[in-house]
Amino acid sequence: MILLGGIPSESPLVLLAEALDALCVPYRLFNQRKCADCSISLDVGADGVSGALQLHGESFDLCGVDAIYFRLMDDRLLPELEDEPNASPARRHSRALHDTLYRWLEVTDARVVNRSDPQGSNSSKPYQAQLIASYGLRVPETLITNDPAEVLAFRQTHGSIIYKSMSSVRSIVKKLDDKDIARLESVRSCPVQFQALVPGNDVRVHVVARDVHATEIVSDVTDYRYARQQGGSATLRAINLPEDIARRCIALTAGLDLVFAGIDLRIGPDGEATCFEVNPSPAFSFYQANTDQPIATSLARYLAGAL
Amino acid sequence: MSPTVLTSKDLASVRGWRHTIGAAGADITLRFDGGVLRGGEVRGVLNRLSYLPPSWLTLFSLADRDYAGQEMHAFYLSWLHSLAAPKLNPPTPQGLCGNVRHPSAWASLAARAGLPVRRFRQSSDDDPEALWLTTPNLSARTVIAVGAEVIGPRDLVGPYRSACLRLAKSSGCPLLGIDFALDIDGAWRMTTASVTPELTRGGEALVDALATALAA
Repeated sequence: MILLGGIPSESPLVLLAEALDALCVPYRLFNQRKCADCSISLDVGADGVSGALQLHGESFDLCGVDAIYFRLMDDRLLPELEDEPNASPARRHSRALHDTLYRWLEVTDARVVNRSDPQGSNSSKPYQAQLIASYGLRVPETLITNDPAEVLAFRQTHGSIIYKSMSSVRSIVKKLDDKDIARLESVRSCPVQFQALVPGNDVRVHVVARDVHATEIVSDVTDYRYARQQGGSATLRAINLPEDIARRCIALTAGLDLVFAGIDLRIGPDGEATCFEVNPSPAFSFYQANTDQPIATSLARYLAGAL
Repeated sequence: MSPTVLTSKDLASVRGWRHTIGAAGADITLRFDGGVLRGGEVRGVLNRLSYLPPSWLTLFSLADRDYAGQEMHAFYLSWLHSLAAPKLNPPTPQGLCGNVRHPSAWASLAARAGLPVRRFRQSSDDDPEALWLTTPNLSARTVIAVGAEVIGPRDLVGPYRSACLRLAKSSGCPLLGIDFALDIDGAWRMTTASVTPELTRGGEALVDALATALAA
């Protein structure tokens, strides 16, 4: 049995469900918004992992679940719980259900897209950059410092530089301009990450096991993800990656213990790829909708054991 | 060679951070009141840093404290990882001195490593927070895997030495405390593990094993 989980109307989940339907692969859906009518028991021992799942009126043996794709929202923010007091039975049940589901995902032998622990590398961009470099992809020249003089020297060396958060919070890329220089003293309170601006074309690579879908993005702003908010535009088109770069993307995804990843590259004038980050829970629907790349089909085939 | 001890208080007082990543690899230099630490000069790390220095966080307003904490955690993870020397333990996104796993994950890993494990159960009727708490057990004993050695009571080290080393390896923790307790049938079973085991009870054998692992 294949189990999907999340908000049924969310685009990635809709596309994946459609892809499974098209392949005539049966699945069940854990609808987070109806978590009140679900329950789970998990048992871990010397004989392995077992347990039972009650899902919207049906019962399943956990050992019978072959593959899982979860794209869960923070269960504490579910609209159905909005009016519930903090320790209400409904909130306690939701929290306990989601926690047990997460624990199961980490220990089950099923194909899981993606387990929680491997997603952690994205919580520290500079840490992840070191892992990326170990798989043969170039990473931007990076300086993290709380010394304004070091920042100015770095800018002198590299010309244009950008700054962005190190964690996954407030992760917007911004070019360092004269206004920023004027307030550079504020870095003394907390180290800040600066990077040399990398020339080239942005490419988002979605890897599903050994399937690779590369999308080139042409944009007139520094961070194309926020093109509309910044008054710019972004155009997407499917491209074929050079074989050696595609191979490194596959190796990187597997090396990070991920099955599915959204890898942000910039291909420079020399044809070499610089990797900015690996997103372990990519909202691939934006790219599929703009290019018709069959990313959801790759996911469906993986879940069905055909990839 | 005398070791440099960096306490949480020392780290909170660091005046200069310089961490680089790029074509030349990764490096770290930190300047604090007692001197300078250069990543390339570090020969081994006994890493017992579980949390960010709490006093540093108080420098920020409540509105920015959470963000600053996440940024600094991301930074610590990166600079600790960049130290090329042996680390006991290497930092992970799930813990600065090793992956602080849930009891269910330890039970699963330990079973796969070949250890007898106490059965772990969890359901949607349980309080998730309570499952992290371990009940004090008078019969509990700890063995410590460090590098290629396992230190602890002979009746546990004897039969489970290889399995303990497999667990340490699969968990990514070259230094791992593995707790056993007598189960109701009188058999020893693994109950949990710690990435920051109590070291003071290990005696000279543990000190030697730590020194060997740090020099590897």
